[in-house]
Amino acid sequence: MGLLKVSASPHIRHEDTTRVLMSDVILAMIPLFIWGAYIFGPRVITVTAISVISCVLFEYIFNLIVKKPCTVGDMSAVVSGMLLAFNLPATIPLWIPVIGALFAMVIVKGIFGGIGKNIMNPVLAARVFLFASWPGHMTNYSEPLVRLSFFDKITEADAVSSATSLTVLKGGELPDVSVFDMFIGNMAGCIGEISALLIIAGGIYLLVRKVITWHIPVSFVLTVALITFVFAPDNVSSLNFMLSEILSGGLMIGAFFMATDYVTSPVTPLGRIIYGIGCGALTVFIRFFGGYPEGVSFAILIMNLFVWYLDRATKPTKFGGRVKNAKA
Amino acid sequence: MSLTFKGGLHPEENKITAKSPIEVMPEPATVAIAMSQHIGAPCNPTVKKGDYVFKGQPIGEAQGALTCPVHSSISGTVLKLEDRVGAFGQKVTHVVIENDFKSELYPEIKPCETPLEEAEFEQIVDIIKNAGIAGMGGATFPTHFKISSAKGKVSKLIVNCCECEPYITANHRLMLERPSDIINGVKVVMKALDLKLCDIAVEDNKKDAIKVLNELLEKEEGICVKILKTKYPQGDERQLIYAIDKVEIPAGKLPADVGRVVLNAETSSAIWRAFKYGMPLIDRIMTVTGDCVREPKNLRVPLGTSFSDIIEFCGGFTSEVEKIISGGPMMGIAQWDKDAPVIKGTASILCFGKSKTNRGPENCIHCGKCVGSCPMHLMPLYLASFAKIGDWDSCKAFDVMSCVECGCCTYQCPGNVPIVQYIRTAKGKLKK
Repeated sequence: MGLLKVSASPHIRHEDTTRVLMSDVILAMIPLFIWGAYIFGPRVITVTAISVISCVLFEYIFNLIVKKPCTVGDMSAVVSGMLLAFNLPATIPLWIPVIGALFAMVIVKGIFGGIGKNIMNPVLAARVFLFASWPGHMTNYSEPLVRLSFFDKITEADAVSSATSLTVLKGGELPDVSVFDMFIGNMAGCIGEISALLIIAGGIYLLVRKVITWHIPVSFVLTVALITFVFAPDNVSSLNFMLSEILSGGLMIGAFFMATDYVTSPVTPLGRIIYGIGCGALTVFIRFFGGYPEGVSFAILIMNLFVWYLDRATKPTKFGGRVKNAKA
Repeated sequence: MSLTFKGGLHPEENKITAKSPIEVMPEPATVAIAMSQHIGAPCNPTVKKGDYVFKGQPIGEAQGALTCPVHSSISGTVLKLEDRVGAFGQKVTHVVIENDFKSELYPEIKPCETPLEEAEFEQIVDIIKNAGIAGMGGATFPTHFKISSAKGKVSKLIVNCCECEPYITANHRLMLERPSDIINGVKVVMKALDLKLCDIAVEDNKKDAIKVLNELLEKEEGICVKILKTKYPQGDERQLIYAIDKVEIPAGKLPADVGRVVLNAETSSAIWRAFKYGMPLIDRIMTVTGDCVREPKNLRVPLGTSFSDIIEFCGGFTSEVEKIISGGPMMGIAQWDKDAPVIKGTASILCFGKSKTNRGPENCIHCGKCVGSCPMHLMPLYLASFAKIGDWDSCKAFDVMSCVECGCCTYQCPGNVPIVQYIRTAKGKLKK
């Protein structure tokens, strides 16, 4: 008689593995990718492909070198690759995503112990690294609907676009893009961050699939909305200023896709709300007073470092723990 | 609006036997009666090799309050007394009896002569104790002890008919086929404890049972059906009391401390059979199911019947069996021996073939799904990671001892981290 298998309970598992959850995130981002390629041209496809392939490859090679089990199958490297590309302008030189992928997958993620162990969001850390190293390339935005072909060589002279809406907002004025265009994503910016509409649609898909919860995106965006509405410059409409702030730059993609990264966000509902409020407040603070027009990446990275404290501070009261010194 | 609690989850129900009537399984050729089928002191066998035993004769007794006697489930000759590893992993003496197929009932089994209206507390407790009734939901807490310790402290009885574990349908069938047994058992307990109120708690996926019970209870005062949202682990008595009355049992306390006593549905019907017919607990209803059993069934099985006899009665396996679980898929115990005998707490036999659950553990990705699903409001991911590095003090600070091991966290975990296993290790270390 063959011996039976014994194992500790529970004996069944939910079908949503890390791989399934990550694939859901990829699915939610596909519309952003298609929209980016429509607005900025086929070059978007090249940049995204290079970024994804580099991320997967670097994770694979790093696993080989440190003799860890191969974690490429969990699809998280693909998510990182797509998000990294989404945070770059379409004009980016094609070697930059490779450097970014190396920094994200090896230095921020791999060295800290791989998936689940990194203390900062790898994509945002890489973005900030690239921003500090090649600010010219990183802010060289092309005009919407000026479509770049697959391997267009971009020179500094081709600097197609001047100011994004964020730089205008920083000057205390309203950008000349209509709120509607900003909402659907007909504006200059990074590949994946422009369409608030599609980001919200993807976010709703992730909410329905229970991949993310509402706490972080809602508290993040609401905080930004509230502060920018209250502190809008006197000479512009508060409502328009607030909407422009929300729809500009990386705020939407940050709130729905970056700040909700499992590894670098809190696990309790209250912790997530505080984290979202922190991200929102820091974003506005940096946008108003910082040296850069954009503050989302820095805000999220700073809040990443508080995750453990937020988890600990918002530890739920155990069941039956509310009653102190109950009668025996 | 169905009543519920915070946390928990709803796994695929897989209640494939919900429509199968309870069949009575023929007595097997031999039974092996475990001397410890309950929480508390194990019994000492009162018979020896070669003795003739009647059906329903006590064959094991123990001293002390927290224990209950065991009885022979068939008539026949004692073949041997042997030590085996029991369902909970400890060594237990088993009395192996060869069946003479005469089903000769123990002569001392007779109905209670006093009518229920005049029955005294002590009398009822004695009947329950002598019948060897222990909690049949799986925890096997001696029922007479539960009732005597509840005397004077409780104001309401709750009958747990939730059956929140996937696959299991035994209580569901009992409610449909013998609802009056449950209700009459309730009346016995209410009389003993002098209670005016009783809630029968049923999950809302058993609409037919709710209907049957409501019809029977139309004229009854004080007993009513409470409909609960179908969610695991609704059958945990803490979550049950919370869902119905919004009262939390303080950590480390019992239902009696908040004025409630909770009984399983089948336990209640066993109490009635003991009171009405004097019948000790010698058989039970169970669900035999899983993805590799040819004919999944609900069965009434004599205690001590081996799993392999039962599975054979259900047509054997359709494919190679990999795991046999005593109990439900969330909290049941995997058996290594197909010949393990049925005990009082065996609510189901679950057989799984080659399963997809065998993927290895991956890293925790800090998704927080375990925190959201923990009915005890703990942070399982941190408990697991502290236990992994042997940081028992931190485990304690994060309330590891409150864990009820329901398995929600591990079920949910996308990284397949064996969280409950880590927690059990930590609890074991801290108990020492």
